[in-house]
Amino acid sequence: MAHQAHAYHMVDPSPWPLTGAISALLMTSGLATWFVYKTTTLLFLGTTLLLLTMFQWWRLIIRESTFQGHHTTPVQKGLRYGMVLFITSEVFFFIGFFWAFYHSSLAPAIELGGLWPPTGITPLDPFEVPLLNTAVPLASGVTVTWAHHSIMEGARKPALQSLTLTVLLGLYFTALQAMEYYEAPFTLADGVYGCTFFVATGFHGLHVIIGTTFSMVCLLPHTHYHFTSNHHFGFDAAAWYWHFVAVVWLFLYISIYWWGS
Amino acid sequence: MAARLLLRSAFRAATTCRAAPVPALTRGVTTGGIPTDEEQATGLEKVILKATKEGKDPYSMLKPKEYAGTKADPHLVPSVTNKRIVGCVCEEDNTAVIWFWLHEGEAQRCPSCGSHYKLVPHELPH
Repeated sequence: MAHQAHAYHMVDPSPWPLTGAISALLMTSGLATWFVYKTTTLLFLGTTLLLLTMFQWWRLIIRESTFQGHHTTPVQKGLRYGMVLFITSEVFFFIGFFWAFYHSSLAPAIELGGLWPPTGITPLDPFEVPLLNTAVPLASGVTVTWAHHSIMEGARKPALQSLTLTVLLGLYFTALQAMEYYEAPFTLADGVYGCTFFVATGFHGLHVIIGTTFSMVCLLPHTHYHFTSNHHFGFDAAAWYWHFVAVVWLFLYISIYWWGS
Repeated sequence: MAARLLLRSAFRAATTCRAAPVPALTRGVTTGGIPTDEEQATGLEKVILKATKEGKDPYSMLKPKEYAGTKADPHLVPSVTNKRIVGCVCEEDNTAVIWFWLHEGEAQRCPSCGSHYKLVPHELPH
């Protein structure tokens, strides 16, 4: 096996980090050209390249780990640190938006009428759809924990069911939020209220989509018996990310939907 | 309960059609359908798993053992070739590390503090 005297994984060169970076460039510039010139070519190209990169890169990781056995304990530990650090960086990303919200809402400017919600804004009723949208991530936190315990105990069928349920709940949340966005009486252009609301909840929604995709990508290896009861880091990472997304929603709900209404 | 309901419908589905029986349910069935590391680990992960079970540490994942460093109890330094660099931190918290090549054969002494070091051959699984 190894002509190495250590247990780490020295990866072989691969083009996917480069294609990923190029897709990020194309998507960001594509977004800008879409806003200004109404053309979607760049954005479409970037998204296609992103999907290709995701498919190829994650397939490569599965090959290296499940089929070639490169993910030894020290390698797994490094991956765990990586995921924790990444989630921490995302927490700080959201802290910025919460800062912006509280900055504007704790001492509302005179131009807003000196009150929050500002004059003219009818906020969404926190006890209608947003409350359902709180029950959904909480329930999916339960299902993902159920799935994790099933995997650890070696119970395949419950794991499959609970992971599928988690994905379905994630999709349900996205659908509900999309409907809320469509029906909302205010828009992104409605002053600082609209701005903080849609930027914070919008980025959160994007993260829900990312988390749901991550969980869906976990379903596939699971159906093909890739996970073992002890070694299933891909699933662990997805579950951590999912809990993070749910916790951010709780903060969003309490701050923006409830206190801010 | 949900598992039982699903299992019942899956059983019905499995027994009705089927020219070729689904072999999937027989794998890892010892634990309920999810394989264990024992059954499925491969490559380097498997090599390390086996070695750890036998109490060996071929890839130096554990902390090195402590030795007195005297002539009777020298520091044993594993090496895959016939020499290895040693860095001696003579006293705790010393910032100047004493580096030297340790060759196979008789134990050598650190030029600064005089601790004894001896090279021992280290087997790598190949």
